[in-house]
Amino acid sequence: MSRDAAIEGARACFDDGKYLELLGRRVAVPTESQNPERLPDLRRYLEEEIRPAFEAIGHDCAIFDNPVAGGGPVLLAERIEDPALPTVLGYGHGDVILGYADQWYEGLDPWAITQRGDKLYGRGTADNKGQHTLNMCAMAVALEVRGRLGFNSKFMVETGEENGSAGLREVIEANLDAFAADVFIASDGPRVSPDRPTLFLGARGAKNFDLVVDLREGGHHSGNWGGLLSNPGVILAHALATIVSATGKIQIPDWLPPPMSNSTRALLADITVEAGEEAPEIDPNWGEPDLNSAQQVYGWNSFEVLAFKTGNPEHPVNAIPPRAHAHCQIRFIQGSKREEFLPALRRHLDAQGFEMVEIQPPPPGNAIDFTATRTDPDNPWARWVSASIERTSGKPTAVLPQLGGSICNDLFTDLLGLPAIWIPHSYGACSQHAPNEHILLSEARDAIQLMAGLYWDLGEAGTPGKK
Amino acid sequence: MSRSDAIAKIETYFDDGGFIEDLSRRVAIPTESQNPDRMSVLYGYLTDEMQPTFERMGYSCRVLENPREGAGPFLLAERYESDDLPTVLTYGHGDVVLGYDEQWREGLSPWTLTQEGDRLYGRGTADNKGQHTINIAALETVLQTRGSLGFNSKLLIETGEETSSPGLKQLCEENKDLFAADVLICSDGPRLSPQRPTIFLGARGAYNFDLTVDLREGGHHSGNWGGLLSNPGVILAHAIASITSATGELYIPEWRPPGIPESVRNAVHNLVIDGGEGAPEIDPDWGEPGLTGAEKVFAWNSFEVLAFKTGNPEHPVNAIPPKATATCQVRFTVGVDPEEFMPALRRHFEARGFGMVEAEPAKKGYMMATRLDPENAWVQWAIASIQSTTGKEPAVLPSLGGSLPNDVFADVLGLPTVWVPHSYASCSQHAPNEHMLAPVAREGLQLMTGLFWDLGETPPAYAA
Repeated sequence: MSRDAAIEGARACFDDGKYLELLGRRVAVPTESQNPERLPDLRRYLEEEIRPAFEAIGHDCAIFDNPVAGGGPVLLAERIEDPALPTVLGYGHGDVILGYADQWYEGLDPWAITQRGDKLYGRGTADNKGQHTLNMCAMAVALEVRGRLGFNSKFMVETGEENGSAGLREVIEANLDAFAADVFIASDGPRVSPDRPTLFLGARGAKNFDLVVDLREGGHHSGNWGGLLSNPGVILAHALATIVSATGKIQIPDWLPPPMSNSTRALLADITVEAGEEAPEIDPNWGEPDLNSAQQVYGWNSFEVLAFKTGNPEHPVNAIPPRAHAHCQIRFIQGSKREEFLPALRRHLDAQGFEMVEIQPPPPGNAIDFTATRTDPDNPWARWVSASIERTSGKPTAVLPQLGGSICNDLFTDLLGLPAIWIPHSYGACSQHAPNEHILLSEARDAIQLMAGLYWDLGEAGTPGKK
Repeated sequence: MSRSDAIAKIETYFDDGGFIEDLSRRVAIPTESQNPDRMSVLYGYLTDEMQPTFERMGYSCRVLENPREGAGPFLLAERYESDDLPTVLTYGHGDVVLGYDEQWREGLSPWTLTQEGDRLYGRGTADNKGQHTINIAALETVLQTRGSLGFNSKLLIETGEETSSPGLKQLCEENKDLFAADVLICSDGPRLSPQRPTIFLGARGAYNFDLTVDLREGGHHSGNWGGLLSNPGVILAHAIASITSATGELYIPEWRPPGIPESVRNAVHNLVIDGGEGAPEIDPDWGEPGLTGAEKVFAWNSFEVLAFKTGNPEHPVNAIPPKATATCQVRFTVGVDPEEFMPALRRHFEARGFGMVEAEPAKKGYMMATRLDPENAWVQWAIASIQSTTGKEPAVLPSLGGSLPNDVFADVLGLPTVWVPHSYASCSQHAPNEHMLAPVAREGLQLMTGLFWDLGETPPAYAA
């Protein structure tokens, strides 16, 4: 049974430490895309880690410069075995968010992998180095067992995902033939729970923006002026309180998606969001009333205050601050009126008497603005991938219409016109955008086998085939 | 030698640069009491700057250690002339708030006195080095002109006012004889307007506290968790929005004064607040509806969010923050019980589902509110003296908007308290670009010289 040999080989790659060795080397490259000084490290990651690995499995590699100043390069690896075979486009991102080295647990370093029990810590282990490294290993094993892939492979690795994938659209638009494929299969994000194989078929969009109340220049003594001068912190707190309820329900009707369809409701009805050990406790009373946790995060919109500052929080003084500022975010599913979010907010604030609250662009370092996307759960490729994974795992695959998090999926669904299927290998409590980012070794070991089975099956007859 | 000679002499002191020279030296000493590294600087201000000045004026000095561990020392200087004369206690504080050097306007530094037009910039120019420098110079001028003061003088300089005067109350409670006097006459805070000499007779209290919503450890990806995890910034915003209206009206009954006494209302109702050039524009719709501006600040309570933080505002990431904190403050008049503030807030939060919002009073405690009757003889005497020096009718405020450790003098030492402020509201005293107005300083020197002169000549009837 060669399929079993491929799966066996993938397991061995994990158990022998080869996967961990590769990942350790990759985590050690500090590819912070939000830090302009790391630009050389972004290129180094592609040149020294990704290119040699793909060349070793018979791919030709091209590296595209980013047309956006300060943006990292994009690598495209390609192995065409036969133009008659279907072409699978893979994806990963080599960049990570800022390390915040001083905030990690004692003894941990964002730029070195550290194993503690079932957890493997390090910046990028979950997002996304651990995931694309896993897929690359699984593909290498499938190739080694069969001697060829049995399909055409394209695999791109970008280096600007954590900074909104700036320039990636332009690179693809300028090279549509190079990136052309029949299906997109890649890994990022979390499973619904660590032991349940998961597919997601789209992603919530995300739009960041700032709210600013800038009343006057300088602070003013709170005794001499208290009662006479408006307080920007009080005003902004009130404005936020009109946008979202105290239990997280969005209060602006134009920010909500159309009512949830029965099929989506059903798809998510039996899915339980279990992020695993040490996951934060889900607040059942938060968000939209009457939705279960899966419907909340995979089928509805949410609003966050990501940061808020007024005055001098580290050294408060007795002065009325001149200015308050909140960095905010909407996560939204396909069908939401994205272009209407900010105009609707302006109308809402004005109607509530908050004309002084300005809506401003987010800071360039955290300016994500992603479209929401979704591939139909009934798409043949979606069904086929789900079946391949079930064959390996022996468990029903959780199929999510969209991931809670945002990814640049519209480039694949809309720009390249592909069915886009994501197979996540992380889990919800991986702290991916925070200190102590990690993956679960047990989950990664399971996932590398699923991916080896999938890459094997892609080389067999019976795929949905070419477009 | 006469009253007018003394005033002429102090005018020369100002006009010839003596005042700026003395104040420059004092501003250059970075007496930040909120910075623990400055402890030796606080001592130095008393022993190297104040003490030699007072000894030159025939005062005997002693440095008193703070009974509170880690808090700055006090200097008590005393010049005794006769049992038959009144004793005046004059207070000042040598410490300042943090410099925040990098936030000052280009060309300015908190530790260098810089004159630009009418403004004397530097940390402490307004609060309080500029003010006690005026009073010390006025005392010295009267002494030099008359040969004696004509009254007994005690000077108390503390170094912890900007951290809520730790140990001051205990020191006075334990050493009442040392500080015994007939009246407190001193200077801090702002005039009602730069042009109008002002007397205030007490101060609003100040109660600082922190609100914290601490939900879990670490941030969590806002995509994976958005909709599933409560957001501490949202919760704290709602909790704050439940404390006051969006226009600053206080909602918690125990935080509101029971009303404004008739005599207080009469004193302040028609006062016009003029912060002077560069003053912020007053928001007429802010605060308690139906009150005049003067009533809001001199006779009512106010609530401020002094600081609020959630997430990583300088480098935000797409994560639901684990924690939000706000530093808040109530300024309050006589008539409310600050001991009730936190229990009332607790009840208020519990009733509205904000049980997860923790409220923690500031460790340094709070400043009590005080108020003296405007009809007091010392007040009437001071009004007459200032009027005779300046030709202007001083504004009389039963209590200042800002907070002072005046309860120590009014309640512990039982003194009538007469404050003659030499600053103005737009002096940026707790912010970058703190400054004093040169014309106000000059007039302050004149009227304090007149006041101390009159004290040795025609003091009011006082109970010894």
